[in-house]
Amino acid sequence: MGSVLALSTRPGRQNSPFPQARPLSRWDRRDGRLPNPGSFDGLHRNCKDVFPQQIEGVKLVINKTLSSFFKVSHTFHLSAVAPSSYRFHAEHLQSDTDSKETGSPMLIGEMDSSGSLNAHSLFHLSEKIKAKAVFQTQQAQFVTWQFETEYRGSDFTAAVTMANPDILRESVIMVAHFLQSVSPQLVLGGELVYHRGRAEEGGILTLAGQYSGPNWVATLNAGKGGAHASYYHRANKQIQVGVEFEASTRTQETTFSFGYQMELPEAKMVFKGMLDSRCIIGGVLEKRLYPLPATLIMGAFVNHRADKLQVGLGVNVG
Amino acid sequence: MGSVLAASSPNPPPASGGGSAPGGAGLVTVPPGFTMPPVSAVPSSSGTQGQPGTDAESSLPNPGTFEECHRKCKEVFPLQMEGVRLVVNKGLSNHFQVSHTITLSTLGDSGYRFGATYVGSKQTGPAESFPVMVGDMDNTGSLNAQIIHQLASRIRTKVAMQTQQHKFVNWQCDTEYRGDDFTASVTLGNPDVLVGSGILVAHYLQSLSPALVLGGELVYHRRPGEEGTVTSFVGRYTGSNYVATLTVGGAGAHASYYHKANDQLQIGVEFEASTRMQDTSVSFGYQLDVPKANLLFKGSLDSNWVVGATLEKKLVPLPLSLALGAFLNHRKNKFQCGFGITIG
Repeated sequence: MGSVLALSTRPGRQNSPFPQARPLSRWDRRDGRLPNPGSFDGLHRNCKDVFPQQIEGVKLVINKTLSSFFKVSHTFHLSAVAPSSYRFHAEHLQSDTDSKETGSPMLIGEMDSSGSLNAHSLFHLSEKIKAKAVFQTQQAQFVTWQFETEYRGSDFTAAVTMANPDILRESVIMVAHFLQSVSPQLVLGGELVYHRGRAEEGGILTLAGQYSGPNWVATLNAGKGGAHASYYHRANKQIQVGVEFEASTRTQETTFSFGYQMELPEAKMVFKGMLDSRCIIGGVLEKRLYPLPATLIMGAFVNHRADKLQVGLGVNVG
Repeated sequence: MGSVLAASSPNPPPASGGGSAPGGAGLVTVPPGFTMPPVSAVPSSSGTQGQPGTDAESSLPNPGTFEECHRKCKEVFPLQMEGVRLVVNKGLSNHFQVSHTITLSTLGDSGYRFGATYVGSKQTGPAESFPVMVGDMDNTGSLNAQIIHQLASRIRTKVAMQTQQHKFVNWQCDTEYRGDDFTASVTLGNPDVLVGSGILVAHYLQSLSPALVLGGELVYHRRPGEEGTVTSFVGRYTGSNYVATLTVGGAGAHASYYHKANDQLQIGVEFEASTRMQDTSVSFGYQLDVPKANLLFKGSLDSNWVVGATLEKKLVPLPLSLALGAFLNHRKNKFQCGFGITIG
């Protein structure tokens, strides 16, 4: 599972119904060489994983592992604000050995009851080079189609992504990422986004830095599009805390969030709480119903400023 | 914690909901013992559970009150829950109990409600004491208040008031006489001398046999410019493990059937026809009680294509109860879910 997470750089991973393994801690490396910094999208992930996900309505997820390669999951979502839906998710990936050695691609597909498709595929062209393709449709219309190539060196990562290339409309978005481990704790890098449409074109440069302590990680992205700073702290085996600050020049607003995660393995319970500068308070409780292979999820989000409440229940089977 | 539990374990009959449905009362409903007259618990249980002649071999049992005829069936059905509810019940003494309710609602307003129940020291039965005063105040100022008192060994009165913020919407007075095998009651609702309006309701229930109860209701309502009466007749037949009730009148018909299959499963079927709204509906509900798992599950199915369920679980050893509920209206494609925690 650890290799899957390291390879996955797409934001959709957050919504995967399968439990995710923790990424390798940067401070675990002791072999004298600088460690690989990971992917650019993964810089803020430690902090983002602490925050609870907004849950609404009733969701039933049934996960089934058909073989070491193949997993499927069925999701039924009864929602009070959106139409209810059924979603089918299938994954073909090698979970027991490292995919780099076998060369088999990782294929993930998800289809909605309304016909929306979400497909990811990941190929290992060589040990250090990976190619990824992502397709997303909203019912019959393609919303996203992007292709990414990533090169992982010993202490650096470089990636080039081409998103929504459209020859007819002459529009494309190209993103280049580069991350370099400068010291065992410090990672510096940048992102260059070039977007071109029929009438306009432009580029945005963002610089990123990440500093890791023995039990904390501080990350900063700063550029013309805004700034994003996050701090992740693991207080002890049970409590993890994350603080996030986002400022966007495009929407001209800033947000500050505080989140914490409390794990009680003896009670098989995980609680995530969140507090926001937009006066949003949320909490999600996950409890494994031992001895059943089921997990109960209860969550509530309150927006005090808008006086809105969202309540959700979920059961994960398998 | 032990003393809180002992004090809050319903010696005050309102909190036990009249001793009828296990774990049902006070969890997801309005403050304990409020809408249902809590005091008729002990006499009615002997009447509705089909134990003929508990008082004496030759005399018929008291039939209970008119409102209770359909209650056994109604208690099987789950209540619609939405949003988050936190209820903290605290028993301060044998006579006094308070409850705090915080409701965060997705549809309506969120609020805080404070409820207090006082049970007097005039003991008339093993689980009944009088007077009983139940009061309830909202954070917007809406008040619900009820006083129930036993004036003589057979006569009981109730005074109830309800306000919506500062305006009185409901004020009524009720007197009930319990004979050996009959119950008669008169209720005066919203009497307004200045405007000249009010509602007068008279109920009469008579036990004809250990299993059969017949009765009637006469409602006289008067407003400046119009007055009218509505009559209805009620019949209830109690079997060994079932109760069938039928109410027929000018306002429509209401039939209910309650069946206790075994210690764990209870089933209720209800049919309602209303002449005023010109529609009928059939509901099927069941209640599954698993005391070993401290679980209570209620499900319901309706002819209006409404499916709903409620799950209540006591989280032993904490004095905590968790309730989860969801209702789905297939025809309108609307979904509602909620959960609540009761402490104490």
